[in-house]
Amino acid sequence: MELKICHMYPDVLNLYGDRGNVLCMTRRLKWRGIDASVTKLPIGDSRSLAGFDLVFIGGGQDFEQQVLLSDLHRGKDKEIKAAIEDGVTFLTICGGYQMLGSYYETYDGKRCDFIGALDLYTKGSVKRMIGNYKFQCSPSAGGSVVVGFENHSGKTWLGSGLEPLGKVLSGYGNNGEDGSEGAHYKNVFGTYSHGPLLPKNPELCDLILKTALERKYGSAELLPLDDSFELLAHDEMCAKL
Amino acid sequence: MKLKTIIAIIICKLLRAFSRLVHRGGTAMPGRIALKVCPELLSIVSKGVKTVAITGTNGKTTSSRMVEQAFLEQGKSYFANRSGANLISGITTEFVMNSSLTGKCRKEYAVIECDEAAARRVFPQLRPQVVVVTNLFRDQLDRYGEVTHTLENIHAALEPIPQAKLCLNADCSLTSSLALDLPNPVVYFGIEKGAVPSRPKPEISDATHCIRCKAEYDYDYISYGHLGGFSCPRCGYRRHKADYAVTEILSQGADSSSLIMDIRGEKHMVTVNLPAMYNIYNAIGAVAAVSEMGLGARAAIDALADFQCGFGRMERFRLGKGGTRMMLVKNPAGCNQVIEFLENVREKFILVVCLNDRSADGTDISWIWDADFEGLSKLSGYLEKVVVSGDRASDMALRIKYAGIAPEYIETERSYEKLVSWIEQQEEPVFIMPTYTAMLELREVVISHCGGSEFWE
Repeated sequence: MELKICHMYPDVLNLYGDRGNVLCMTRRLKWRGIDASVTKLPIGDSRSLAGFDLVFIGGGQDFEQQVLLSDLHRGKDKEIKAAIEDGVTFLTICGGYQMLGSYYETYDGKRCDFIGALDLYTKGSVKRMIGNYKFQCSPSAGGSVVVGFENHSGKTWLGSGLEPLGKVLSGYGNNGEDGSEGAHYKNVFGTYSHGPLLPKNPELCDLILKTALERKYGSAELLPLDDSFELLAHDEMCAKL
Repeated sequence: MKLKTIIAIIICKLLRAFSRLVHRGGTAMPGRIALKVCPELLSIVSKGVKTVAITGTNGKTTSSRMVEQAFLEQGKSYFANRSGANLISGITTEFVMNSSLTGKCRKEYAVIECDEAAARRVFPQLRPQVVVVTNLFRDQLDRYGEVTHTLENIHAALEPIPQAKLCLNADCSLTSSLALDLPNPVVYFGIEKGAVPSRPKPEISDATHCIRCKAEYDYDYISYGHLGGFSCPRCGYRRHKADYAVTEILSQGADSSSLIMDIRGEKHMVTVNLPAMYNIYNAIGAVAAVSEMGLGARAAIDALADFQCGFGRMERFRLGKGGTRMMLVKNPAGCNQVIEFLENVREKFILVVCLNDRSADGTDISWIWDADFEGLSKLSGYLEKVVVSGDRASDMALRIKYAGIAPEYIETERSYEKLVSWIEQQEEPVFIMPTYTAMLELREVVISHCGGSEFWE
């Protein structure tokens, strides 16, 4: 078995230890004897998304956002949408998560069109939502309690048909108001949680890997691993929040 | 002289004396309260003092100590904010302590390390003659925000002082962009092409795209991180030739480096009494600062061979049979430099990593995943064991595990007292990588076992 992982825009979307997520996925596959290849798709790289089983997009700085948007609108936007509809597994974080929505409106009313793959939008606010936080994944996303770190000023609002990834237990989540965190659509997992997300939340990591493997091979069982380091880091933060 | 100024000065001096009486540092608090009484106090007490200010993300403290060593050896009348209290409060405290009750400073020169976010408040009052900007890297995003935000802060700090001479890192595209639209006189320092073996672009760079036009930079060499010979293919913004240049690195040892500096066309052999590439940058920046302050390059070069930094920056302790070195880490760029230093340690050693997430460390510890701890997995045969400690020890253990170190080589020890007693028993040299607040606490315990100085000394 093998998973082909695509790390989109690692050159600019790499702000908060996001590559730890890719590292975590490949290690946990290899520890189980499953092959993993990681292809980096930087800005300006016109290679197609076809053939990838799992796409990862992280968060970045505002500075490079225009560079990123012009690259997306050169055709990547349509490819991402098609891949999502086709059931490819996506993990998108912070900026990468916002980017899948329809638009971002800055605090002073400037609107920036995103790719519209998910029915959500984001509005800038003055207050940054920063800190360790935790949320409980919805049953369709495995139901585990996830701990992470959020740092965003954008408030994200989901359309009525879109399921959140989970419910905030402590912290802000999507907007600090409706208690929702992230989005879960088909095989897309979108969240504000960096920190990075996966190493401390092995249950969610394995769910994402399983989702991608099942789509490719019909069924997949992941052998259990010794997660004592992972769970200790998880439980310690959980207890503080 | 207004009465409130005198009152502020008296308050500041009394609070400091009281702090020392109860064995506290009293480095920032007295100034903070005095500034409430007299908000323009720093501009009064710094008047007439020839000041060099050092700011930037990494290397502020070490560069300041190098500069200070030159002032010391030249017998100049000077003072420095040695304690790391580098916000307006700490800087004001230090000036007041060197002033008379009427606010007249007794020293001719001041060597001031200034936090990059605080510079905006400090520089307009301090009016330094020379400002060194060491470099800009992403750092504690929860506190400083994006690196371009820090750049804007420093820009705003410099705007009111157009006469200050800027010493800028030529190899840092962010730092040297300050010269694009500021009227200040500028000199550049850097490491030339050919002095370092060129390396591929790092996986994570803090400045991939042109600060002016956002096209992707080309590089003809990289020294580390995003530092090197950058040029923008679209707008033509490129590395400026360095007035103070390292043209050759002759050797890089475990304790020192020797190199050749080209200072305005004149070649000098230089020994830097500290290891690692980033200290070569600190050294050349310090030479630029000392020269531009009018002490001459020779004074700086002599100082580099003698000085000891201390305070957790590559600081050595007589702890354990193989000795202990403490190497402060704060952000991915600095951490990578320390890991690279460890990759060149060609003997068996023990690594201790202490990770805290208090506000001075940055509450967001995700940066440990951006640092290349993977480099440690190449050290089998040398790296005997990794001990993790600090408030976020379990996160650090996890990072080390995913870096490719087998869990049986990773141990957790939360008590600094037990940790230091254990280090004392070791045969091999021990390298400690602490974050800032972990360094402060751990250093006290280390000193109680083997001696050293208090942090304000």
